[in-house]
Amino acid sequence: MSEILLSAKSLHKSFGGVRAVRDVSYDIPQNSVFAIIGPNGAGKSTMLNLISGVYQPDTGSLTFAGADMAGMPSYRRVRLGIARTFQKIRLFKQLSVLDNVVAGFHIHHDIPAWQYLIHAGAFRRDHARCREEAMELLSFMGLARRHDTLAGSLSYGEQRMLEYARALATRPKLLLIDEPAAGLNAAEVDTLLDRIQTTRKRDVTVVIVEHNMELVMTVADRILVMDYGQRLFEGIPSDVQKDPAVVAAYLGGELT
Amino acid sequence: MSDAVAVGPAYRSSRRRLAFLFAALVIAVLPLLLTSGYWRTNLTLCAINVLLAIGLDFILGYAGQLNLGQSAFYGLGAYVSTLLITKFGVHFWAAFAAGVAFAGLAGMILSLFAVRLRGHYLAIASLGFAVIVHQILLNWISLTQGPLGIYGIPPPPAIAIPGLPPIEFSNQVALFYLVSAFALLAYLLLDQLVRSPIGEALTAVREDEISAQSLGINANAWKVFAFGVGAAVGGAAGCFYATFVGTLVPDAFFITESFTILAMVIVGGMGTLIGPVFGAILLTLLPELLRDIGDLRLVVYGLALTLVVLFMPGGLVQGWELLRRKFAGARVAGGR
Ligand SMILES: Nc1ncnc2c1ncn2[C@@H]1O[C@H](COP(=O)(O)OP(=O)(O)OP(=O)(O)O)[C@@H](O)[C@H]1O
Ligand SMILES: [Mg+2]
Repeated sequence: MSEILLSAKSLHKSFGGVRAVRDVSYDIPQNSVFAIIGPNGAGKSTMLNLISGVYQPDTGSLTFAGADMAGMPSYRRVRLGIARTFQKIRLFKQLSVLDNVVAGFHIHHDIPAWQYLIHAGAFRRDHARCREEAMELLSFMGLARRHDTLAGSLSYGEQRMLEYARALATRPKLLLIDEPAAGLNAAEVDTLLDRIQTTRKRDVTVVIVEHNMELVMTVADRILVMDYGQRLFEGIPSDVQKDPAVVAAYLGGELT
Repeated sequence: MSDAVAVGPAYRSSRRRLAFLFAALVIAVLPLLLTSGYWRTNLTLCAINVLLAIGLDFILGYAGQLNLGQSAFYGLGAYVSTLLITKFGVHFWAAFAAGVAFAGLAGMILSLFAVRLRGHYLAIASLGFAVIVHQILLNWISLTQGPLGIYGIPPPPAIAIPGLPPIEFSNQVALFYLVSAFALLAYLLLDQLVRSPIGEALTAVREDEISAQSLGINANAWKVFAFGVGAAVGGAAGCFYATFVGTLVPDAFFITESFTILAMVIVGGMGTLIGPVFGAILLTLLPELLRDIGDLRLVVYGLALTLVVLFMPGGLVQGWELLRRKFAGARVAGGR
């Protein structure tokens, strides 16, 4: 249980003069939900971008399941089992809901090369299997009835759920979700909470960046608090509110 | 409704087969109906332009890469194959393969250099490439004879089938059959590609590169792939053009040709394969039908393009869909 899936060692990332992440280290245990919280501009999304490989750290190291992530582009990290959603939703808006999820199976196709040009048995089986699994993921996220709709015409909450389903299609070991509850109504937040817990039960480790404290406190096993790019606190939820530095950063507002 | 879903794919694939047979039939019959040399020339030009358009559409409509260098791949295919035949006595089909491969390689190399460029920047870079290729064809006189051109390019060698009279490609109809059979084959293969996970990857790159990469899709590699395939198909068009016309001058591959091909793709409906086929046919024949206007040809292109972009951004395919839905709607209403 306490085996480490992802280990970050003194990460730094600057954008010009902005030091978005400064000397942050942490370990994420396997099969846990790890939350990253902090005020706006604290560097949470930058942290997810470092883990997923959208950005490379200036210095510091990331080790995922024993492998050094240095210099590895994001698409290769997906093959190792790192998937993500985006704070600013990035769906394939012109594609159907189903096709969005199907695109997530990119690294899991099992088709001999020639069948890309002449679709035969293996191609058809793969085609049917991907669509079937995509429908299962859509059902899981409550979107099965919407499979034919264009992704761009889904409601905001549905789009977040679809991005979650699409990320799951890559069959991740580590799922990074950036503000999944932003813009969701109370019922949708409840659904999301349930889906995150189910995801975790399916042996997926989850890193969640979220401003909804109730959700974070319920779902997280450990919490990393960031402020101005730095690590303020890292530990279990019940200790967060007691930490004076954290309370000061939030001015006692959101956390008490 | 669930019934329709269950029989969907099989139904669709049998309809595809029907459409394919119909296309083959049309190709077979057309040159028999249109017997004048003038119309048969136009038919062959249609087939060549169809190749150019579906090649560009693979890059532009599927992978979303604004390529304005299609005229260069066209020219490279034409010149490489022709020079191999006329200067080095290489067999037509070997030269054809070399021309296609060279154009495809050029596409991949251009894409590798331009891999970080998107939208307007890629358009400018690929246009620059087209200018450079045209200039090389024009100024490397010892090789290409520059503006004087290359004359007397032979037709493909006859194909002998035992028991039948040999197929002579000096015959216009035979050459039309050859080019359109190849265009049909290219269409079928591209159609299979775009309806496979490769098509899904290309579309994902077109829609959102960062998102695509977050799903394990190597966006840059797929762009290079798309350029390679699309440019190779353009190169094949060039090989056929040279052997069909029998004469090569660099100006046949001036950059305006890139825009002409672009117009075919957009007017037809990019991101579908069938659209650019009809776009290519329409924009090949339309100027011929309006022959009297002479140099206003480009104006017709421009006008068609503007009208489509303004009123029917999905091109002919969108227009067809609208009509079909209207018609189907009327039929349902009438039936009840
Ligand atoms: N690509 C970039 N270029 C320049 N500056 C950036 C870039 N990405 C992030 N930053 C800056 O880095 C800092 C941290 O940004 P980040 O998006 O990581 O914050 P965050 O904690 O996710 O905030 P929020 O809660 O508002 O999403 C901010 O000051 C931001 O402006
Ligand atoms: Mg953020």
